[in-house]
Amino acid sequence: MFTMKHSYSLLFVALLVVSGCSDFLSETPDNRTQLDTKQKIAELLVTAYPEGNYSMFCEAMSDNVEDNPTGTKNARNADPYFWRDATSTDQDSPENYWNACYAAIAATNHALEHIRSVPDSADYNDQKGEALVARAYAHFMLVNLFARSYDAGTARYNPGIPYVTDPEKVSFKTYTRGTVQSVYDNIERDLLAGLPLLNDDAYTKGDATGVARYHFTRAAAHAFAVRYYLFRRDYEKVIEHADQVFRNNDFVSNMRPWNSTYRTYSSTELRANYTKATEKANLLLCETSSTWASSFTGLEFSTGATRYNEMFAQSPAGGRYAFSTLYSSAGLYFIYKFREHFVRLGMNANTGYPFTIMPLLTAEEVLLSRAEAYAMLNRFHEGMADLNLWASTRIVDYNAGAHLLTYNKLYNYYQLPSTRDLIVTCALDFRRLEFLHEGMRWFDIRRHRIPVVHTTVAGDTLTLRADDPRRELQIPREAVSMGGLEPNPR
Amino acid sequence: MKKTGYGQARARSVLTKTLLVMKIWLLWLIPLGVSMAGTAHSQNLTLDLTDVTIREVLHTVESKSEYSFFYNDSFTDLDKKVSVHARNEPVRTVLDRLLAATGLTYTFMEGNLVVISPRPLPTQAVITGQVLSATDNQPLPGVNVSVKGTTQGTITNVDGRFSIAAGSTAVLVFSFIGYVPTEVPVGSQTTLNVSLAEDLTKLQEVTVVSTGYQDVDQRLFTGSVVKLEGSDVKTEGTVDVGRMLQGRAAGVSVQNVSGTFGAAPKIRVRGATSITGDNKPLWVIDGVVLEDVVNVSAEQLTTGDPNTLIGSSVAGLNADDIESITVLKDASATAMYGARAKDGVVVIKTKKGKAGKPQISYTGNFSTYLKPSYDNYNILNSVDQMSVYSELERKGLLNHSDVSRSANGGVYKKMYDVINEKYGVDDGGFELPNIASERRAFLQRYALANTDWFDVLFKNSFVQEHSLGVSSGTEASQLYFSTSYYDDNGWTIADRVRRYTANARATFKLSDKLNLGFITTGSVRDQRVPGTVSRQIDPVAGGYNRDFDINPFSYALNTSRVLTPYDANGQREYFTRNYAPFNILNETDKNYIDLGLLDLKIQGEAGYTFNKDLRYDFIGAVRYVKTTTEHSVEEGSNMAEAYRAANSQVVRQGNKFLYYNPDYPNADPVIVLPQGGFYNRTDDEMVSYYFKNQFAWNHTFNGIHQANLVIGQEIRQVDRRNAFNNGFGYQFSKGGVAFTDYRIIKQLLEGNFNYFGMGDQRERYASFYAGGTYSYKGKYVLNSTVRMDGSNRLGESTTARWLPTWNASVAWNLDTERFMEGVTLLDFLTLRAGYGLTANAGNATNASSIYRSGNTNRPYLDESESQVIIESLENSDLTWEKQYETNIGINTGMFNRITFTVDYYRRDHFDLISVIKTSGIGGEAYKAVNYADMKSHGVEIAAGATVFTRGPWSWATNAVFSYNKSRITNLRNQPRIFDLVFPDGGALEGYPVRGLFSVDFQGLNPSNGVPVFTNHDGIRSSDVYLQSLNISHLKYEGPVDPTVTGGFSNTFKYKNLSLNLFLTYQGGNKIRLNPSFQSSYSDLDAMPREFVDRWLVAGDEQYTQVPSIPDLVTLSQLGAVYPYNSYNFSSARVADGGFVRLRTVTLAYTLPSKFYGKTGLNNATVSLTGTNLWLLYADKKLYGQDPEFFTSGGVAMPVARQITASIKLSF
Repeated sequence: MFTMKHSYSLLFVALLVVSGCSDFLSETPDNRTQLDTKQKIAELLVTAYPEGNYSMFCEAMSDNVEDNPTGTKNARNADPYFWRDATSTDQDSPENYWNACYAAIAATNHALEHIRSVPDSADYNDQKGEALVARAYAHFMLVNLFARSYDAGTARYNPGIPYVTDPEKVSFKTYTRGTVQSVYDNIERDLLAGLPLLNDDAYTKGDATGVARYHFTRAAAHAFAVRYYLFRRDYEKVIEHADQVFRNNDFVSNMRPWNSTYRTYSSTELRANYTKATEKANLLLCETSSTWASSFTGLEFSTGATRYNEMFAQSPAGGRYAFSTLYSSAGLYFIYKFREHFVRLGMNANTGYPFTIMPLLTAEEVLLSRAEAYAMLNRFHEGMADLNLWASTRIVDYNAGAHLLTYNKLYNYYQLPSTRDLIVTCALDFRRLEFLHEGMRWFDIRRHRIPVVHTTVAGDTLTLRADDPRRELQIPREAVSMGGLEPNPR
Repeated sequence: MKKTGYGQARARSVLTKTLLVMKIWLLWLIPLGVSMAGTAHSQNLTLDLTDVTIREVLHTVESKSEYSFFYNDSFTDLDKKVSVHARNEPVRTVLDRLLAATGLTYTFMEGNLVVISPRPLPTQAVITGQVLSATDNQPLPGVNVSVKGTTQGTITNVDGRFSIAAGSTAVLVFSFIGYVPTEVPVGSQTTLNVSLAEDLTKLQEVTVVSTGYQDVDQRLFTGSVVKLEGSDVKTEGTVDVGRMLQGRAAGVSVQNVSGTFGAAPKIRVRGATSITGDNKPLWVIDGVVLEDVVNVSAEQLTTGDPNTLIGSSVAGLNADDIESITVLKDASATAMYGARAKDGVVVIKTKKGKAGKPQISYTGNFSTYLKPSYDNYNILNSVDQMSVYSELERKGLLNHSDVSRSANGGVYKKMYDVINEKYGVDDGGFELPNIASERRAFLQRYALANTDWFDVLFKNSFVQEHSLGVSSGTEASQLYFSTSYYDDNGWTIADRVRRYTANARATFKLSDKLNLGFITTGSVRDQRVPGTVSRQIDPVAGGYNRDFDINPFSYALNTSRVLTPYDANGQREYFTRNYAPFNILNETDKNYIDLGLLDLKIQGEAGYTFNKDLRYDFIGAVRYVKTTTEHSVEEGSNMAEAYRAANSQVVRQGNKFLYYNPDYPNADPVIVLPQGGFYNRTDDEMVSYYFKNQFAWNHTFNGIHQANLVIGQEIRQVDRRNAFNNGFGYQFSKGGVAFTDYRIIKQLLEGNFNYFGMGDQRERYASFYAGGTYSYKGKYVLNSTVRMDGSNRLGESTTARWLPTWNASVAWNLDTERFMEGVTLLDFLTLRAGYGLTANAGNATNASSIYRSGNTNRPYLDESESQVIIESLENSDLTWEKQYETNIGINTGMFNRITFTVDYYRRDHFDLISVIKTSGIGGEAYKAVNYADMKSHGVEIAAGATVFTRGPWSWATNAVFSYNKSRITNLRNQPRIFDLVFPDGGALEGYPVRGLFSVDFQGLNPSNGVPVFTNHDGIRSSDVYLQSLNISHLKYEGPVDPTVTGGFSNTFKYKNLSLNLFLTYQGGNKIRLNPSFQSSYSDLDAMPREFVDRWLVAGDEQYTQVPSIPDLVTLSQLGAVYPYNSYNFSSARVADGGFVRLRTVTLAYTLPSKFYGKTGLNNATVSLTGTNLWLLYADKKLYGQDPEFFTSGGVAMPVARQITASIKLSF
């Protein structure tokens, strides 16, 4: 009998010990960190920007490139040229960018969840603002690659992409795509809620050790808003936000000095400086896990002589463009914008992870977007003024007398009937040059439904029509099979 | 369930016994009061009853006579069947006869009343004592002690102690399987110490199984287990205990993937149980789990990285201290270890002191490793090698301008350098004019060199090992002390080891109830190995790479025999590596790793015996291990000089060890290590604590029902710390003054490295367990155990933390059944069956989100930020990796000379961690999820036999066979081709846990001899994209792990001379051959003999599978295609892994006792052991490549051939 009693008392002791164990077993198994200070929330938000790179596939899908048979062959470059569904899932593939965007979103959601749980939430407004705007940005990029372009008429019916606002906590979770409209509405809600909370000083002052250009400053957030409303075709708002990017609307001193300082740079200096935080035009920078910096100068489907001439040979303003282009033996033309940052696996290793610093939002984009918005609102003079502002820093030995853009010059150059079309077309051409190798052209092709023709050396001609379903990247395989999403039609 | 059953059963029987005692008391009162009235009686009876109970007889008598019987109804004897035949006999006579065979007697009372009462017992005293084994004076637990002629009995406890009540006339019978039953009359003694002699006719299965929690009689043990005596396993000259298990234990596979001291072999008990986990068995020494100093998974063992040498804690164990090794294999055997036992448990018991006069034993081993020889490896000799070089030269692959500017080079580079740079002193001409005949003359010396690198780099080393042990003690205290010294002066010029161990163990008996024990063990190791850095995987071209590898074995196999270590003047001759001069002798002198290891364990034990049934035990242990790995790279070594190679712009642009300063984008890279070398230091520290409290209760009811109950609790805590510090510019030749260029730090930081760092790992486990065994007359045994484990391994979440495990098993000792009594040829026969759940924490710790601090990957220091990354999302479904195991086994012995054990098992592994590609929408593209399932099954057979004994001659044999097969039944991973074709295989659904796949080789291209494959798209092509996810065109070769392993041992004896031959074998697996093929070769490369058969001209492709050496035109056509790398991973480069090896041969001679004289010697044995002497069978395609060894460079060496002379003395 006593054994039974002992068993009970042992059980009781055991229960006591079990509860005592909970402290013992709560010891963290390694050097992981806890989100216990405001500073750590701020540091978590350092990763709230997509560390993937869309340039390789966006460039290859666009009309910036052509077939250069001696260039390096690579599925991540070839698949998008033929608008095929990607076979690679490595860095620089659409799936990699998808994953990077959602990883950034997860960082914002973990930060926001923590902020919601602290008693003094208001104290975290700086971080809350950044998280909301960053969440909006990553979703915006996804919806504009994997879903139909925004069109007020159809956005309500076209499937979007999952808008994620809570951390995932189970091993498998399914999602729904929503509609383009709902995604856009969510983006706007986050953007407008976050923007007023942003505080540029939070990144650099006090105990913060950040670099503001790698975060959503107010200027960067307004620049993002400019892009958002431009894509949404809400032109009043484009102008409203564009005017808030720089104090006194001073674009000139904030743009890349292509026809002055940049002209003096050697190619190694240009690639060292183009993506630096000290470069005022870079409103938002991001380090991306990408081979783009080492590959954009040699891939088979990249800018060759034909495309180069199409873009750079002539300017509607007259004169010569100041962009310093290099030429490779494979017949490729390129502007040396990027330098690879190679993080080796070990101190003496040959293998490692390549990084490319990308400018995500720039002063030039804001300026040219505003030009387009003015034109769409029939404020042509102001539109022309923005175009001229751009040209004044891009034409060699710029001379307003000789190089000033006029309606007449534009008409002669483009032969288009409407003034609005002239300005918009010119703005799009300027954007194409300005953002060469940066993937922006693809977004312009999508939203303006510009047809693209790709030819091959073998003589094939492929056309991407204005309504081609291949304008939407295919939803990644596992997002369909495991995530429960509807794939895009093919 | 089972446990409650036991509890109820016991409670009921105790209750009835109490009632019975009360009734007897009542009965005693009656006769005392009335017995005086007793009178004579004369009534006679006639009875004729057959096969009826006594009760019925009494009823019959009552009905036939006037007598009335009064008795307690619960007397079991009343139900005994008897036959009574009486013809007009007095009642008294009938009753005498009737009750003679029972414990009852009768008394006549007034009025024909007869009281049946228990026969009064003679006065009883409590006899206590201890049972020892006569062979070694060790206490014998589990001995059956009974009073002769009664059902009274007990069983000795762990210390061999017993206590039993018996009268002075009683005779105690001591019986224990495997020992001669002994009868001892009690007489007037109250203390009886008995020593039992071993029953030599029943040698087998005397064993007690030590699970680390309990010592159980093997006949009552229901699990699958292998028990090995320390003396049987001990292989002279082999230091690592793990290696000694090879081929000895059924179900245990041991692969010597590296032979370097300290590197653990790859041990698997019943195959792999996890796809991503460690798959290492748990080691338990003297009841305490042995934690590894650093976690090195079984797969990491093959990397050759320096941490493989400090990972295994077993290396600190002196094999002479081992008493026995028990390998627990199935769920029933390992049940007590619950959620850490999935991979089996190896339980080691070390020696204890013995009572008696001090005994001293000494073992001395003196051995030598034999130098490897080119006879065993297929490397081209220097003439053939030079002819390959001239082919390379003809094909334009060794042209002057390219070679003289290349980072690495051998004789050709040297020749071009001499032509370019050296002028004659006297005539002002060139030392080597650039004329064909002069060049030929220059190369002539090298073509004839035929350097034996094995001879240069290896030596017939001398290893000595001394071990001294002293055992002494009294009844109350016993001491064991041992110390050992191991000194290996190195098989190669680059390594050496010294190890010291000490072990002190004391046991004290403070009273009959309380005993205490202390164990202190320590070991110190001092080891030097060649300097190396961790290897890296290159997923682009396919392959591993390790910069600055100077492993002598790899060097000898991979370096051209054309090169010479000394020049014509006898000076060290340098060739070029990394743009800097390189000589292997110089490099091993100046680039080395010193490992220091200190391991100390202090263990305390206490036991308290409440009464003869109940006992409490406590074990507590603290272990502290500190290792230091110092990698010294002295100035003058190639590794340091490579940082200073900047003599031309070509070198400055090409040398990756120079610093490109982003602040000066137009400048050439510059030297940032102007002086000195490197001093890189890594410290690994581990502190572990272990506490266990346990109650054990043992009771035998009526000598028939034996019950045993254990309940306990344990706590484990392991804290590991790893710290590293890299010193740049340490000047070894200038008294160790550091000269650091700040820019090398800047270079590091810009490359996102730190020059120092520290990391901690903390493991916490708390467990509660209870187990019970019931056996009926030792015939039927039921066993069940439940255990609850909690761990912090899975992360902070409290829900995933706890896991219950359980098992249930039975055993049936068939030979004890009555119907088997006639079967005399059978010594014993036991059937066992068990089923249970075991588990392990997998390699995922994200029960809650894991955040990690880090720095951003940005090129400029002033743009860098601290960041917190989400390493892993919360996985609220995370749980342990688990398996259900069914085991059926038979143990049998026949003819007193054959033993046989067979086990069959089936395992269902589930909730295994697998890395799965997710939708990505949650933010984690690849998640470790408890998703995978696997099934495995296997058979194990162990047989032992004394084949022959006649006079002084005898022959004993022992064979072990294990078979294990696994299949992954569910695994949603997405491997690339690259993940599956590597030598260590990959995991894929429908295949074994590690399967080897190949790129399907389709022959050679008839126009250029370049290999052609079925590529990733299923097309015949030379272009295989190794990173492709399309793996459907790969060819499955077979498992990487052997499916069959075993050993075969034969001992022949003649008088004092014995010869043992021990073979080990394995089979069923595939091996990838060493990667020898490249697109382009330098004048440094050594080539295997296959190159003699290489494709040379069109048409050769019909006769050979060996591809051509591509010329420049072919190479330029290949572009970014790597057919030669793919060839290394193709079906043409796979061999069968099966082998039979003569593992050891031992010839031993024990000196006859007449020689000992007055020396005090008890025993003196000399022996000679040859280890690994002969590979009897292996696939011919291996050409001498060791089928067990992974040639991975770094610190890995194959197991050497070794000859050991050994002497053993005891006083």
